[in-house]
Amino acid sequence: MAERRTGQWTDRILGLAGILASLGALEAAVRLGKVNGILVPPPTAIAERTLEIIGSGAFLLPLGTTLYLLFTAYLCACAAAIIAGLAMGRFAAVHNLFEPLVECVRPLPKPALIPLLILLLGLGDAMKLTIVGLAVFFPVLINTIQGVRGVDPVLINTARTFGHGPFSILRKVILPASLPLILVGMRVSLALGLILVVITEMIAGTGGLGYLIADMQRSFKVLDMYAWLVILAVMGYALNAGFVRIERRATHWAAARA
Amino acid sequence: MRPLFSTDETRMTKPLANGEYLRLDGIRKMFGSANDSRGLAIAGVDLSVKEAEFLSVVGPSGCGKSTLLQIAAGLIAATAGQVIVNDRVITGPPESIVYLFQQYSRSLFPWRTALDNVAFAVEHHGKMSRESARQYSKGYLDMVGLGDFDRHYPWQLSGGMQQRVVIARALAAQPRVLLLDEPFSSVDALTRIELHNLILELWEKHHFTAVLVTHDVDEAVFLSDRVAVLSARPSVVLHDIPTQLPRPRDTIATRELPRFLELRHELLAMLLGRGQHG
Repeated sequence: MAERRTGQWTDRILGLAGILASLGALEAAVRLGKVNGILVPPPTAIAERTLEIIGSGAFLLPLGTTLYLLFTAYLCACAAAIIAGLAMGRFAAVHNLFEPLVECVRPLPKPALIPLLILLLGLGDAMKLTIVGLAVFFPVLINTIQGVRGVDPVLINTARTFGHGPFSILRKVILPASLPLILVGMRVSLALGLILVVITEMIAGTGGLGYLIADMQRSFKVLDMYAWLVILAVMGYALNAGFVRIERRATHWAAARA
Repeated sequence: MRPLFSTDETRMTKPLANGEYLRLDGIRKMFGSANDSRGLAIAGVDLSVKEAEFLSVVGPSGCGKSTLLQIAAGLIAATAGQVIVNDRVITGPPESIVYLFQQYSRSLFPWRTALDNVAFAVEHHGKMSRESARQYSKGYLDMVGLGDFDRHYPWQLSGGMQQRVVIARALAAQPRVLLLDEPFSSVDALTRIELHNLILELWEKHHFTAVLVTHDVDEAVFLSDRVAVLSARPSVVLHDIPTQLPRPRDTIATRELPRFLELRHELLAMLLGRGQHG
């Protein structure tokens, strides 16, 4: 156990060294004139600009705009997908009714629907929330169905023999038993949702990180574009890390058993 | 398909005899299509058990013992016949019956601690607060000797301990009938002896009716008041034999009684198809 831990630490230090080395090499290349410093500013300059934006608090509103869009769409779509997945996983008739429909819409790359949705819903939040929600919906739905179908019938019959009714069985047996798979779907969806948020903001945004990255590029503020990219990257990393933590806590029993 | 969760009970056709608590009346079970005779698992079983009686059902493997027990528990529906519990024909799992699954480790909820697994038995009544449900359940964990393991998860416990949690949970529901489906078949020999003694001790203390399905003749004779022998598939009851062994049973002494040896001989001969003398 102890050896494994030291192993992980050295791995991490090595990874960090890799990042620092490539940044150092880039810095040197720009400073030595090997790379066009206008298109690729030196990492130290990007870091400085990023800290400026963060220090001034100017990042708060765009970050808030992006997170609001992401979380609103994400939470609504996850709730809908889990409810639909429970129904489809539990009742064959519901599954047979909706499965072909799901299989028609699911493989479609969701950004392809943006022009259509702009036509139908305009450029506002309704369109953005719909497209992000659609991207989030399917992975959660598919994983929920899988999770529900994989619940051991012995557990369900145990609940029945103790007199638990259908609603209680859903809440106390099926939902917790399928939670590990549902959370895997939600983790995948979080990344997908973020991608779609950035794309819609670039196309039809008025604030938000995606909008700013595109806008800075269009107005030749290259250094700012990089700074906003860094902020977006940090946000994406933090979201995923936070989710993994929650996932581990919620399904510690599944990981420990495996 | 019949409703899976219905528990409404209707009046039965034939009243129970004196002292009878659970009766299977002409139970038939067919799997697959109705005109395929190979699908017939249970040809017609009549069996009854008295209040606080310990009945074992033995039979060759694949004879439909477990199916029969699940029908008695209201977990699956019979093709024909009826299950009568306490003067009512059942149409779903009755509150007074708890079924113990052969796959005991799979019947424990891995996301619940041992204590919360036991509490599951009383949660749906809604009469008990979460805290009092836990306190109540703790008493049952203590009873099976696992009072110190309340915070352990099932996968942190040995097979024998998991089986004890399952038994504690079953008794916490205060059932009138306990249906045991080969509960001791997958633990080691010494653990099995311990569990035999535990179940007898609890049975004597709580006066529930027990129906045990097993392929272990020794176990059936040791624990029971009566042993019913099922035929090979499609099954019918071939014999119904009172053990007439004194209680309390003793792990060693009971097994050395002439009556024990005689019964074991008789039952093994039946199951191995060597016929009977006389």
